[in-house]
Amino acid sequence: MSIYIIFALNALLFASVLFLLTAGLNIIYGVMRIINLAHGNLYALGAYVTAWVLLTVGYQAFPGPLLYIVPPIIGVLVVGLGALIMEPTLLRPMYKRIEEFQLLITFGVLLILEDLFLLIFGPYPLSVREPYTFLGVSKIGDLSYPNYNFLVIALGFIVAFALWFLLYKTKFGIILRATSLDREMAAAMGVNVKSLFTVSFVIGAMIAGLAGGFIVTKDTAVLGMGIEALVLAFVVMVIGGLGSMKGAFVGALIVGALRQIGTAYFPEIELAILWLIAAVVLTIKPQGLFGR
Amino acid sequence: MLLEVNNIDVNIGAVQVLRDLSMNIDKDETVVLVGRNGAGKTSTIKSIIGLYPVKSGKITFDGKDITGLPPHVRATRTGIGYSPEDSRVFPDLTVEENIKLGIWLSKHEKMSEKDMEETIFNIFPELKRIWNRRGLYCSGGEKKMVSIARALSLRPKLLLLDEAFEGLAPVVVERFIKAVNQIKQLGISILIAESNVNIAAKVGERLYAIDRGEIIYAGDPMKIFQDQTLLNTIRGY
Repeated sequence: MSIYIIFALNALLFASVLFLLTAGLNIIYGVMRIINLAHGNLYALGAYVTAWVLLTVGYQAFPGPLLYIVPPIIGVLVVGLGALIMEPTLLRPMYKRIEEFQLLITFGVLLILEDLFLLIFGPYPLSVREPYTFLGVSKIGDLSYPNYNFLVIALGFIVAFALWFLLYKTKFGIILRATSLDREMAAAMGVNVKSLFTVSFVIGAMIAGLAGGFIVTKDTAVLGMGIEALVLAFVVMVIGGLGSMKGAFVGALIVGALRQIGTAYFPEIELAILWLIAAVVLTIKPQGLFGR
Repeated sequence: MLLEVNNIDVNIGAVQVLRDLSMNIDKDETVVLVGRNGAGKTSTIKSIIGLYPVKSGKITFDGKDITGLPPHVRATRTGIGYSPEDSRVFPDLTVEENIKLGIWLSKHEKMSEKDMEETIFNIFPELKRIWNRRGLYCSGGEKKMVSIARALSLRPKLLLLDEAFEGLAPVVVERFIKAVNQIKQLGISILIAESNVNIAAKVGERLYAIDRGEIIYAGDPMKIFQDQTLLNTIRGY
């Protein structure tokens, strides 16, 4: 029995990280109608910076809970700053061009970031296990489960709630939703669409950076991690529906569960199963489960 | 003069949609811009709110040149409210959220949410009943009310109504004409783009007729019925 509980927790853990990734992508797509291929490496940037801070300053510099707050926040802020530079300089000139240009430019940024990681952090993975091991483990039957994983699962749910609150219960969220529905009309109602695009892009990127900052102590910061994450985030988007936050949440849970089942029972075709499900959803409901 | 449009040319892509167009609207005045479909009414309205860039010419509002200002500045600071042809109510937002957007965003003559709601309910009491309904589930007439109320929530000096009466039953048209008169009494100037000459003549104090992007008549709305050639052009015969 306890093995199934571990399976379920692992599925939730994976879903949590995927939700954070896809939520950011969805905010950017929902408001700006841009599929940000660089998003995976914004997640990786969060991971690299967090690991670099922990390795350079030393985990001892962050007593108690600060170890779980300060380094990821630094990662998130660096990602936010990167996004703040990227949107007006690289993306804004592309808005009036065809979508292929936007895809090309974001793909270019993905590759540039990958090379920058190699240049700045070197070819070897950055690994910091202390924050992960310090939290210890919990007993589930005869098995033990890392407490850090509970933290990451909780983070996913907290961010999901915070995003729901932001989008549906605040003036800013309502303005953001209005702009995502009809940007011309929103502009005519007084929304500064340019500024809102920048803010949306930075928020979306920072959520990805947050995911990277928390996953790095469980895994490692390694070249290629952003591309791998991006591919999985796209599966979630296809299943949940482009631009839908509810879709990101449900899609992440589905992909998390499927990947866990795949890893446990069909490890050779784990990714193929995910893409197969995505293909089925695309065939039956091309807009995804919750897409417009 | 509140609004002065001076000799503007507007292009959409390679097509020139407005040619040397001039018009003006005084304070507290209701003006109608009448013409057949494709004559250039919507292009004129969109140029005034700033959604279409002006290639040459000048638009001044309250004596200030607004030609280069982006739409959000015209809406929130200059004081121009816009209700588009197809209402364009935000479908996933409730009626309340649609309308409060303007109150939150307006930087012009701030008014409390409660006072604005009261003003809007005085003009469209029907909105009380559907206040929490999502825009998607509103009828065509309700969407038009929401769209006009939303533009009003910006507390504009000038309200642009594009085809406000289109597709409405005659009895509902009367209802909307009453609403327009109530809005006028608030001290708001109104420019209405309309393709129905009879409604246009009924609601406007002054009338402009437009065809192929050019103003072909300016003056008394009732006098338009004395010129059959002009009427035929406007009606697209």
